[in-house]
This record gives sequence, structure tokens and C-alpha cells, in this order.
Amino acid sequence: MNGNADDRPSGFGTAQLFSPGADAIYRLVLMTLASCLVALPVLAAGIVRSNYVTGVGIAPSQPLPFSHKHHAGELGIDCRYCHTSVEKEASAGIPPTHTCMTCHSQIWTGSDMLKPVRDSYTEDKPLVWKRLNKLPGYVYFNHSVHVTKGVGCSSCHGDVTSMQMTYRANAFEMQFCLDCHRAPEKNLRPPAEIWNMEWKPPADQASLGPTLAARYHVRGGERLTECGICHR
Amino acid sequence: MTGTPDLPALRARLQGGDGPRFWRSLDAVADSDEFRAYLAVEFPAASRLAAQPGRRGFLKLMAASFALGGLTACGADGRDYEVPYVNEPERIVPGAPLSYASSALFDGFGNGILVTTRNGRPLKVEGNPDHPWSRGGTDVLAQASILGLYDPFRSQAVQHLGRPASWAAFNGAMAAQTAAWRAASGRGVALLTGPVTSPTLAAGLARWREAYPEARWFTNSTRDGLLEGARRAYGRPVETLPDFGRARAIVSLDGDFLDLGPGQVGLSRRWSDARRAALAEGRLLPLYSAAPTPGLTSAKADDAVPVPAGRLEELARAMLAAAGGGAAPAGDDPAGRWAGRAWAALGQARGAGIVTAGLAASPDLHALVHRLNGALGNTGATLHHVAPAAEAGAGSLADLAGAIDRGEVQALIVLGANPVYDAPGALRFAARMERVPLKIHAGLYYDETGAHADWHLPLAHPLESWGDVRSLDGTVGLIQPTVAPFYNGHTPPEVLAFLAGADEGTDALGLLKRRWRREGEDDAAFDGRFAEALRKGFFADGAAPAEAVTLTGVPPTPPAPVPAPAGGIELAFRPDGTLYDGTHADLAWLQELPKPLIKVVWENVVAVSPALAAREGLANGDLVRIEAEGRSLTGPAWILPGQAETTVTLSLGYGRDVPDHLSRGLGYDAGLLRPVDTPWHLAGARLVRTGETRMPATTQHLGALPDDAEGRAIIRRQVVGAAPVGDPTDAAPAPSFYPPPDSQDRWTAAQWGMAIDLDTCTGCNACVTACQAENNIPVVGREEVARGRWLGWIRIDRYYEGDPEAPATHFQPVPCMHCEAAPCELGCPVEATLHDSEGLNLQVYNRCVGTRTCQSYCPYKVRRFNYLDYSGGMPPVTQQQRNPEVSVRARGVMEKCTYCIQRIATARIDSAKDAHAPIPDGTVETACQGACPTRAISFGNVADPQSEVSAAKRDPRNYSLLGHLNTKPRTTYLAGLAPAGREGKRP
Repeated sequence: MNGNADDRPSGFGTAQLFSPGADAIYRLVLMTLASCLVALPVLAAGIVRSNYVTGVGIAPSQPLPFSHKHHAGELGIDCRYCHTSVEKEASAGIPPTHTCMTCHSQIWTGSDMLKPVRDSYTEDKPLVWKRLNKLPGYVYFNHSVHVTKGVGCSSCHGDVTSMQMTYRANAFEMQFCLDCHRAPEKNLRPPAEIWNMEWKPPADQASLGPTLAARYHVRGGERLTECGICHR
Repeated sequence: MTGTPDLPALRARLQGGDGPRFWRSLDAVADSDEFRAYLAVEFPAASRLAAQPGRRGFLKLMAASFALGGLTACGADGRDYEVPYVNEPERIVPGAPLSYASSALFDGFGNGILVTTRNGRPLKVEGNPDHPWSRGGTDVLAQASILGLYDPFRSQAVQHLGRPASWAAFNGAMAAQTAAWRAASGRGVALLTGPVTSPTLAAGLARWREAYPEARWFTNSTRDGLLEGARRAYGRPVETLPDFGRARAIVSLDGDFLDLGPGQVGLSRRWSDARRAALAEGRLLPLYSAAPTPGLTSAKADDAVPVPAGRLEELARAMLAAAGGGAAPAGDDPAGRWAGRAWAALGQARGAGIVTAGLAASPDLHALVHRLNGALGNTGATLHHVAPAAEAGAGSLADLAGAIDRGEVQALIVLGANPVYDAPGALRFAARMERVPLKIHAGLYYDETGAHADWHLPLAHPLESWGDVRSLDGTVGLIQPTVAPFYNGHTPPEVLAFLAGADEGTDALGLLKRRWRREGEDDAAFDGRFAEALRKGFFADGAAPAEAVTLTGVPPTPPAPVPAPAGGIELAFRPDGTLYDGTHADLAWLQELPKPLIKVVWENVVAVSPALAAREGLANGDLVRIEAEGRSLTGPAWILPGQAETTVTLSLGYGRDVPDHLSRGLGYDAGLLRPVDTPWHLAGARLVRTGETRMPATTQHLGALPDDAEGRAIIRRQVVGAAPVGDPTDAAPAPSFYPPPDSQDRWTAAQWGMAIDLDTCTGCNACVTACQAENNIPVVGREEVARGRWLGWIRIDRYYEGDPEAPATHFQPVPCMHCEAAPCELGCPVEATLHDSEGLNLQVYNRCVGTRTCQSYCPYKVRRFNYLDYSGGMPPVTQQQRNPEVSVRARGVMEKCTYCIQRIATARIDSAKDAHAPIPDGTVETACQGACPTRAISFGNVADPQSEVSAAKRDPRNYSLLGHLNTKPRTTYLAGLAPAGREGKRP
């Protein structure tokens, strides 16, 4: 800094300290800083919401390329054939190797692609899958109460019957849960549609939803957004 | 006491009415400046932190906190892989709880438990409500046994001369040895065990004796004196079981039926049931207690007096003389007057009285008590006798020492005992053991005895092994594994069968089945019977039949009076209030559990009476040396109201010396001074001040509540038949600044509430440990406790009332009150604590930013703050014990009792799936409620008039703690009962 001008001897002998363009640089820096104040949080917010961070739509490589599209979509195997505890317990359950082998001891028995499954079964070593859907440790989600009260699989997991390799369909952030817990009637389905992966809210959902909510005894949004419903 | 008590001044304060009616310590009575300062800052830890930096420092700290606060949210978010089974085991559903009936071991005796497992991991111990002896209750050791399973200090491998070896190496080494023993008929072989109540182990012992007829068997038992007393009265050892339900008066002469011990769970339940039944009939079942040192039994007594151990027999003799037609006992000292009152109650209740003595009573006192009961007609009416659950026929530890001295022991096998630590110091067992050529030790821990043995063998934990055990009444409980063994341990019957050279298999399940298969029983019949017993956890027909007893011989003659040395003190040795004998001293839950009366953690203290402290100029924490019979130990003095004047109590279980173990270096080893022939008392010891001071960590004043001068006392006492002391139910609601419940809808859900019966709460601490196990509450360590950072969600406040020398004692468990108008909720700047529509005061950890405002707003002081990352440092194996249904709290987060919201959520979800069918009463049981051996805690829906908790709250004894603050607490208390004329009486 120049300090106080009065402290310096006056006169023409003093060299010019700043070039004429110095003000422009100064203003540019100020403007950049100011825009950074805005841009950086926006950028940061964008990054944390990006699929790169949330993992939405990204199918990680798995020990073997299991296709939900083939099994659940084309062959039409029910979700509950493998995810056996989804109607009874908090966890839907990941099928044991035994479940795969109920069919694959009969069909595609020589397939290279299925070698990890056969090895797992013969060597009694579990398959280790990459985990797709995660919730923080302080969130307690219960599958059974959702599927028995009219929330279908695809509302959270997307249409897995269209996924060749399975990926995360939604970032399970608090906002995602709250959208539904605030107004559950928007996403409630009739019991027959729970396992339908292609279900979309019908045109009359606005009238159907509240009817279903009453039929399922779904409590109102005020109750469902209480902290203790998910956090304990 | 931060200073030496000035007894006359304290008495004057109490009698003059200046002092508090209920007080926790003599500091509180003295109302010292230190104590006022403690009260004023509520949580001393917080004030110390804030008082240090000035304004600028404070602002800097706050700025740094704000800047860095967000960073704590960064970090990995859990595992990112899924591992399904290869073959899913039958009945195991990932995440779903699965319970097994089993038995918890207490010093060789059993209590029925249910072990809850999830994902194949045992997580929590509950009482087995069908078990004939324990009836659904548990004690602290059973609750903490789950931590014992995951204890990283457990022995994990065979050791030979202190080096890791293997079972194969041991088997190889033993092959020649057992052949040699067999050739010599077992001469020179000695087996030392704890009390053997397991029928399978007893059968193994029989086979061992067949194999080695000349081998000798010794036990290290704490109950010898009790059985010897019965032998002196009846000619044979029998166990005495009181039937409180038929009793009209109970007199305890150093009795311990409510104290931590193998009988605690079953006897507490029977006593509390009888006490409730008596109240329902409009009377009090009075309990009179005389004891040298206060325990839970004397604390619950309606009329307690401190009497030195040496005088108890004199009181019993006086009563026995009166029962035989002599003069009623009388005296002009407190003990004499007490004996007069106790005798009056007993005399009126002939045939319906109970006189009881405890573990620490001398055999002669037991014999006198048996005779007194016989003379009063109580024997057979209110007292039943059964064969002792433990096998008889073993020699004592002193016998073993003698045999070693005579060179009769060439090989010593120690099976599940630790004599090097717990043998009386006079035996010098470690030195004696060195003289035995071959020493084999099998134990759950590589302990002091293991270190002195040639071979150490790891035993399996009861939660991972097969076995059986008898309860005090003879009921046979089964032990079944709830998880595959962690380490390479075997069970005691397996080790014994191997050493006996069994050729027909030595696996625990095989031995168990072999013991229980009846002669000629076919497979199907046996399998059905065995499976049913496994399902229930016990054999239905196991209890021992009552035996008729007749008094034989003559009453023991009084010993010649020995003149007491001037200034001498009497030592009382007692099992520790939380550790018992120290076998489980490595369990941090038990170390950090405040002793029921002393309220000290992480060490034992030298308990002295206020009078002795005044005479010797002692204050709490003054290190004193206790000298007796040429040996001495040093420990911190602790002033214990209700202690007999010249009795000094030393508690067992501390002073452990196993390298690297948690328990090492904590407290002093009282066993050093224990005499051999009278293991519980020693007359003629000396107490010497060392001049040094080291203050033990205590929770005595944690959450101190102001004693209300206007008579709205923290503790209320109800005289049977007198006007109710509870809150009136018809009073108009007081005006409140809080909004009323916002809509009717708010009350359609279940409304959770709790009622705690202070009359049947014995202060046993089972609820505290159960809460710790259920809710992932970490231990914080001694230094943190000393800073006031004890983390338990339910604390048991212990209050005294009356004269410091012989006060009445009251316990009050204090969990979160779940106030309907909760002050804490107003304070939180981020709404991390708020109400839900079921009346729960929620604590949302992920919202909490740790301002601790709620803590300072809470009038009950039940909120706990994570000053440090207490959970993160736990060993990985111990982290396996955590309940996956409950969040593990991070540093900087407030926590408190949630009414076990995870259990409520489970019931709520089940009901939601069932069209919101009302949750049946009793479905949700909180951890504290489930653990309580006396069912003192009731919990449920207060909006349902039919529920148990609603019935409890309709009791005229029901009152709210600090109810005048208008917080409308959901947790309320039922006033304890008081005998007529003693309520509210100042000393």
C-alpha cells in the first residue's frame, strides 16, 4: 500500500508506482472475486448433486453381469422370487447363491458368464456385489411397510426391468424421501401394481391417491414427516 | 465429602430443618461452597470450558467451530458392498431378530435369559419370563455378558509356559500324562473348580473320579459359610429359600437377598411381588435390617440400623432367647432399640416371619438364624429348604493349600477358577502353586492363575457353547450357543472329559445329551424332550423338591469375649457392587457402572462411617492404609452413611494384575487382607492416614436436582393407609406458556409413557446396563466421568434421609421424562429436539450441532453430550455388539433416553402393516423395563386406560418429579412406602 500521501515528499521526481492499466486489473480481480462468491457455491452444489457424486445412472461393474432386464423384464421373474423378505422385513434381501442355482444348475450350466456363481456355490464363498443403494447410518428404512402400504418398487428403484446392468435410479437424499412423505397420495398404487415396474401415476391419481391413502390407512403428511419416523 | 465431616453441625442442620430432607452426600447437607458451585453450573464440564478463555478467546473458538463444523460431516458413508449367503440358513432372515433361550452364569449359578441375535450376532440379553427361578429379570452381569462375548481381552489360544501353543500340542503332551495318572489311580492329581451346579459337569466329575479314584477335588466357593451354618443347625447342608408371599415381617441380619449375587434376580422378584401383594391388602410387608455395611437389602429396609459384624450374633441370640420365652430384646443404643422393634414384628408374625442372613454372615450366625426361624415356627411355613444346587464333596481352597504343603499334589488342574487372584492373601496361593510340578489352567481369560500355570487353555464363553446350569432353587437351565465360537475355546465338561481320558467323544453337545438321556429312552422321545427344553431354556421338572429339616444339636455357644484393641477397626469384605468377585473386571460396562450406594466408578474405595471419618479426620479421597495381620493395602477413603461406626468395608474384585488388560491397576486387592477361616470379616485392623489424596471419579452429584423447600419433594413417601401423597388427578391443568396439543388427531396415536415404582426399585442397576447394551452407549473412561461426562441414559439417583449415621436410603431411576411441555425443545436453535405425535421427545442426531442449550434447559438433567468421539475408538470386535437398530452417535452430538424408539418403531411398523391395529399392551417393552428383576418399570400407551402403565399412573402414589415446573412429564413415579410414623420424620 502507498500509505498516507502526506507522509511522502511531494515533487515530480517520484516515479509513477502504478501503470495506467492497474485500475483495470484491480477491478477485474474484484469482479472475479465477487462472481466467485456466487459461482463457487453454485458449482459446489452442482457437483454434489451431479450423477458423478450421487452415482445415479452409473452401473458399476459387478462380479458377474447380472441383468435385471433379462430376468425380471424378459423372463418375468417376480421381484420376490429373489428379494424374499421385502414384504416382511426392513431389508428386501439379496438372494443367496442358492437362489441363482435353483435355475442355473439346470440351464446355462456351462456358461462362462456364470462361472462366478458356480464357483461360489461349490467353494461355499459368497458373491460380493457392489452396493448400489445406500442410506446414511442414522436413517432407518423399512421395505415391508412401504410395499404393503402402496409404494411400489419402481417409485424408488426406477424401472429395473429396463436395466441391462443395474444402476441407482435415484439419489436417496432426504429431499427424495420427504417429497413422498409430505404427500404420499401422489405415489400410492393399488396392491396389484406394487411390483409393476412400468407403473406411472394414472391421470386420475389426484382422486385415486387419497382413496388409496384411506384404504391403506396411510397417515397424513404431518405424521410421516416427523423426525422419529426415519431417524432414531 | 470434600472436607472432613463436622458431624454435630451436620446433625444440627438436619434436625433443625435447615438442611435438605433428601440428600445425596454430606456435602449436600453441609451445603458447602463447592457443592453450591456444582449445583449452580449444573454440568461442571461445560462451565470449566467456557470460563477459561476470555471474550476474544471465546469468539475465536466460536469462529473456528463454525468454520470447521461443517467438515465433521465429511467422511466415508459406510460399506459399499453386499455379501449375501451362499445358502441361507433356515430361520435366519437378514436384519430380523431371532431369540434363543439360554442361561446366564453367576458364580456358577444360573438365571434364565433370552439372547436376541441379528444377522447371526448375539446383541442383547433379555430375561426369560418363563424361567421358574428368575421369572424374566436379569442382573448387571447377565446384561454385561454380551460384552464379555465380544471382549478382546478374552483368552484366544492355548498357551504353554506363556507362549502360544495349540490344542494339538496340549493333547500330545497330555497323552503320556493321563496314562501315568491312570496308572497311579490319580494319586497326586488335584482338580480345582468353582461351584459345580452343572449336572453335565457333575456327571463328568463322577467319570473323572472313576478314572482317577485317588484324585482329589477342591472348589473355590463363596457360599461355604452359608451351607456350614445350615449344617450346624440341621446336621446337613441345605439351601434356604424364603417364601416372601406368606411373610408378614422380614428381619435381615446382614442379609443380602436383594444384593448382587446368584439369588438376586429370583429373590428380588419374589420380594417385590410380596411387597405389592401386601400393599394391595392394605398393609406393609416390613423389612428390618441390621448390617455392618449398607447394601441394597439394608437400603430397601424400612428400618435399618448399622451394627458391627461382631455384634450380630448377640442380637440373634437375644431374639432366640425371646422366642424361647425370655425377655424381649432391648437396649438403650440404636442396635438394641432396633432389635426390640424387629422382635416385636417377628413375635407378632409367628409362623409368618422370615429371618435371613447373607453370604457374609458367619456360620454361627446362620445357625442361630435357622434356630430362630425354627423357634418362631417359620421353618417350613415361610422358609423352605432344598438340597444345595452345587455339588458337595469338594475340599476347600485351604485344604488344597494344605495338600500342596504336604507335597501331595503333583498335578493341579484349575478349571474355570482364578485362585491366584481370589484366594485369601494369607494363603499366598501363587507361591504355593509354584511348588506344584504340573499346573493346568482353563479359563475364559489368561488371568493371574493362567500366568502361573504351565498350560493355559481357553474356555468358551457361555453364549457360544452348550451346557447346563442349576439355579439356586435347583431349576436346570440349558445353555445353547447363539453364535459359532469366536476363538478356540472349549467348555469345562469338555476339558474335564478329555483329561479323564474319555473315549466316547468329548464334544459339549454330546456330553450334554448323554447326561440328560434317561435310561432306556428312545431317540425320538429324548429328542422331543430335549428340543422342548431347549426351546424353553430349562427342564420343566428341574426344581429341587422341598426337604423337611429338623434342628439338631444345641445352639452355638457365644465365643469368649475378646477385648477389642483400642482404636482398632473391624474390616468387612464384600463382593463389589458391580463387579462382584472381579471375574468380569475387564468389562468396561461394569467398571463404569456407578456402584449402587457409593456411586464411584472404575475403582473400589475404603468405605468408612461418617463418625470414623470425623474421628480420624478423613475426607473423601484421602488415601488410607489398612493394616492387618502384618499385611496392608492402600485405597481412597469414602464416607458412607449407614456404615457401622468402626467397620471399614473393603470390596473385592479390584487390584487385578493381568498385563495389558483393562482391569489392571484399578483399585486395590482386598483379598490381600482376607483371613482364611473368616473370609468376610476381620477384627482388629488398623487404619492409617497416608496424608495423600486421590479423588475417585464419582457420579454422586451428577444431575443434582434442587431440593424444593416448599415440600414438593423429589422423593415422596407413602404411609400405607394414610392420605395419598401422589399428585391429585382431578386438579385443573396449570396455565402454560406452551401451546396445547395442536389438534385432536395428535391424540389418536399411541401415547407413550412410563411409571417407575420407587418402592420396588432396589437400585440394582440392571436397567442402566441394559440401556447401555440396547442403545450403543459407549464408555467414556474415568477421567471423563470425573469431568461430569458420564454418558448413561438412565441414572439411578441415590438419596439419603435422616441421620448420617443410620439414614433411610432411596433410589430413583431417572431417564428422560419426555415432558409434554419440554423446556429443552424451546432451547434448540436447529430444532434437533422436538416432539412427535406419540408424545416422544425426539433427539435428531443428524440435526444436532451441539450447542448444549437443551442440556442446560433440562430441569431433570438427563441429556448427555458427546464431548469426544467415544464410540470411534472401540475395538472392532466390540463394535460387533452394537445394535444396528440404533444410531451410533458421533462427537459433538447430544443424546438421551428415547424410550427405546427402535422398539416402538418395530411395533408401529407391524401395526401399520396390519391396518394400524392398536398395538397391544406389553408389545413394546423398553430395555430398562425388560431388564428390571422387580418389574418396577411399567411402560406403554397412557391414552389407553386398560394399559398397565395407565393403571400404574392411577395409583394414588403416582407423582411427577418437579411437577410444579409444569413440564408435564410422561415419566412419573410411584412413591415408595414408609412405615407409619417414619414418613417425613426428621432424625
